[in-house]
Amino acid sequence: MSNYLSVTERETKEMLESIGVKSLDDLFDDIPKDLKLKKLGLPEGKSQQETMEFMRALSKKNKVYDVILRGAGSYDHYIPSMVKNLSSRSEFITAYTPYQAEMSQGILQAIFEYQSMICNLTGMDVSNASVYNGANAAAEAMLMCTERNRRTLITFDNIRPDTLKVLKTYAARREIKVEVLSAKDGAADLKALKAAVGEDTSCVYIEQPNYFGLLEDAEEIGKIAHEAKAKFVMGCNPISLAILRSPAECGADVAVGDGQPLGLPMAFGGPYVGFMACTNKEMRKMPGRIVGETTDHDGNRAYVLTLQAREQHIRREKAFSNICSNQAYCALVVSMYLSAMGPDGMKEVAESCVSYAHYLAAELEKIGLKRRDKGEFFHEFVTVSDIPADKILKALDKAGILGGLKLSANEILWCVTETANKAQLDRAVDVIRRVK
Amino acid sequence: MNLIFEISEPGKRCATIRKPDVGKVSIGKKYLRSEKLDLPEVSEVDFARHYTALSRRAFGVDNGFYPLGSCTMKYNPKINEEVAGLEGFTQIHPLQPESTVQGALEVMETLSGYLAEITGMDAVTLQPNAGAHGEYTGLQLIAAYHAARKDYKRTKVIVPDSAHGTNPASAVMAGFEIINVPSDEEKGVDLKALKEVVGEDTAALMLTNPTTLGLFEKNIKAISKIIHDAGGLLYYDGANLNAVMGIVRPGDMGFDVVHLNLHKTFSTPHGGGGPGSGPVGCKKELAAFLPGPLVAKNARGVYKFTESRKSIGKVASFYGNFGVYVRALAYIVTLGAEGIKSCAQHAVLNANYLKANIEDLYPTEKGRHCMHEFVVSMQELKDKTGVSAMDIAKTMIDRGYHPPTMYFPLIIHEALMFEPTETENKRTLDEVIKALREIYEEAFKDPEYMKAAPHHAQIGRPDEVKAARTPIVRYVKP
Amino acid sequence: MKILFSKSHEWAAIEGKTARVGISDHAQKELGDLVFVNLPEVGAEVKAGEVLCDVESVKAVSDLYAPVSGKVVAVNDELEGAPELINRDAMKAWICEIEVSEVPSDLMDEEGYQKFIKG
Repeated sequence: MSNYLSVTERETKEMLESIGVKSLDDLFDDIPKDLKLKKLGLPEGKSQQETMEFMRALSKKNKVYDVILRGAGSYDHYIPSMVKNLSSRSEFITAYTPYQAEMSQGILQAIFEYQSMICNLTGMDVSNASVYNGANAAAEAMLMCTERNRRTLITFDNIRPDTLKVLKTYAARREIKVEVLSAKDGAADLKALKAAVGEDTSCVYIEQPNYFGLLEDAEEIGKIAHEAKAKFVMGCNPISLAILRSPAECGADVAVGDGQPLGLPMAFGGPYVGFMACTNKEMRKMPGRIVGETTDHDGNRAYVLTLQAREQHIRREKAFSNICSNQAYCALVVSMYLSAMGPDGMKEVAESCVSYAHYLAAELEKIGLKRRDKGEFFHEFVTVSDIPADKILKALDKAGILGGLKLSANEILWCVTETANKAQLDRAVDVIRRVK
Repeated sequence: MNLIFEISEPGKRCATIRKPDVGKVSIGKKYLRSEKLDLPEVSEVDFARHYTALSRRAFGVDNGFYPLGSCTMKYNPKINEEVAGLEGFTQIHPLQPESTVQGALEVMETLSGYLAEITGMDAVTLQPNAGAHGEYTGLQLIAAYHAARKDYKRTKVIVPDSAHGTNPASAVMAGFEIINVPSDEEKGVDLKALKEVVGEDTAALMLTNPTTLGLFEKNIKAISKIIHDAGGLLYYDGANLNAVMGIVRPGDMGFDVVHLNLHKTFSTPHGGGGPGSGPVGCKKELAAFLPGPLVAKNARGVYKFTESRKSIGKVASFYGNFGVYVRALAYIVTLGAEGIKSCAQHAVLNANYLKANIEDLYPTEKGRHCMHEFVVSMQELKDKTGVSAMDIAKTMIDRGYHPPTMYFPLIIHEALMFEPTETENKRTLDEVIKALREIYEEAFKDPEYMKAAPHHAQIGRPDEVKAARTPIVRYVKP
Repeated sequence: MKILFSKSHEWAAIEGKTARVGISDHAQKELGDLVFVNLPEVGAEVKAGEVLCDVESVKAVSDLYAPVSGKVVAVNDELEGAPELINRDAMKAWICEIEVSEVPSDLMDEEGYQKFIKG
């Protein structure tokens, strides 16, 4: 057993004496006796070696695939060694929120750099220091856009299911309506959108690329939102932003998304990081921590948490959001990833995803797995076929390949990133060809 | 030091990736970005030096004394980091077939069970990503519970004036109105005032116990009775569980819903502000409303995701911050029943030892033991010397210590809140006691010097007014 | 024109049917350096004694209360980029103009207000 305590029995005795009590139990005399617990029903502690063995055994019960052709909100990308190595420095890992600016310039500057990179990626003016994940970023954006008389968010049934679920949870008790329109051929139906927006619309939320991997006519959607005096919120895959029109170029008021593809492992769904960026106009409604540049009393450049009067610890029940902890460490990893890749590397990753995904789509088409939707796509696409999805995925699984995500009995959502290579994709296609 | 943008040189490369071995495909022009992608361009050595320099300007638990009250900055065991980095945990997709992630589901089920036992609750969700997120989730459960009983008039949540700001903010996000109740002379909930505000519209009372003043709420049984008699529920903010885990359980105190902070109580690192994890536990009457999916083990020993039809819905994507669960499980498994309890005992011992040796100069609640933390008021010193709680905090920085939490809770003037945690050693505590006593003397000898502290830090005091008046929140090329 | 003060430290300079509204010098000093003025919405109906808008300092947010009832007809946009104008001259830096429907009877004149804050 190990408990990470740092005092000996002798020291414990000295300390009790210094306090003026006889035993550790005496320190708890404020707790009513009849409430005290006899014994916790937990196993006995383990040595660190046993813990390692125990946890390793658990980890081995999970299957690690050689090839991953599944995305749907969690993406397998190459993570550069320097990102893993430098981010594991314990000063970063074991630091608290940088409330004491004089001894936290490193954390503050890292967040400032992260904010700057998110602004550059999205084209927006202001980024916060991160929120929990992409779905929560969308929910926070919804709250940001909600006004007294505008309380309806309009979206389509082609956004990530988890995002839609979280939006609905957050709307439920705030008298906010989430109106979900049907997509047409997998993409946003502009006609339906035009008909749906109105005086009560707070914002239109779409994802680019959408859940099915398709590219939306984001600029046009933004125009429709703005004509109705509603805000335009865009959920983005950050890898795609290296080559796709930025949310700012598309007229977005708020850009959100999940930063996981930027250097964070899939890790069974978390921790990930939600990014949020907006126009200058919306800055003071943005939730979460924001780092700003200023000077110290000698005129040296300095970074501090700023615009804190927006936040719950000052505004309490009047705050726009309750968020306190964010995902600062994940944001640090994201900024390291973006620095390590640089503009050229980012573009190469995005283009590689596009090329490999289109290669697989074409090869699948040849063996009868046709694309369901017509539109252009980034690195995900949906196929339909006569062969049941379950059969295909089982065969791939046997070959050590995690196939796409089953959407219905005959539909599969595939994802291909730069981690793939031609031989692997050919092998996958070969396995599927043999499925009867 | 320079921003990474300022050391950027066009053409420099750091990470490189494999060239695709399939034909290049391009996306239609109308979708393509025309704006330049302005990211840093650095070499690998530039990269390594930049981030190493940043890390040297960060201060973590591994750097030194970190007595941030209400934050529980305990040591973050290295073994937890290593197990969380095992390939079997990092390289698994959240939407893999259940049969291929039995280990991950076992982590979640086992941890949920342990947390239920520690808190005395019947069911636990791990999904919320942080404490405030847990509060929000817990309050949604409470709303769902009342609604299911068609008890629609319960629109108000009672919050003590000593509460953390997230409490009222979370309750408003969950659609409730806030009623603040004052504290009594012993800094607990004022029972008389509480009785006056409870009623048919009370949905819940949110309470931290030990309170934000680091004192055990002695009247907890009476409070529980008042709330429950009125038909309301009792919500436990687990921010301060570290003081009492293994000794008394929220469930046994009468609480119906709790949230925990794995990043406080269960040793997972704070990472400069997150990721955290805020599991929520509840009594069986509320279990059906928990956000799904939950994990259950069937009769054949197979782990399965389950979802209740009455669930409030999801509060985060996938299953929350899974990597944090792995760390917390490794911690609890290492400690076991006895280890958990001894953490609480020693957290309280360390706090009382520090308190006992400075309270003649740093006044705090008299005549009772504190729990894992205590709050001192420097009002008297400020009146005598002009030196404020903030000046003391900044002087501590000059001595290489992280300051305690300042100006919280709001009901104490010139507050400093010390939480040394159980992992602090006696030698450091003795040094800190000596330093704090010297600092107190200094306030009389040279108050002006202290008001300008820190003198030997990375920067002097920053101009926060300037930062907020004309916000510069991103780098712009000159 | 007459200038009246509320107990919650706002002033109203009333001329005919409109009142310019701001906060007193005493209030400005208590609040410290202001970093943002969250101006009310033009067109909003306000009631004397109810929240009109809020102002932010670095570590606090304070509600301002309408000294008179009526409709907000103009706001001082200048404050958006320069909240320090209030710190510089609180009596000059008006926040909004209200088309007055009712002036409460408990407002004080300058002399009365000075007594009130000393009292």
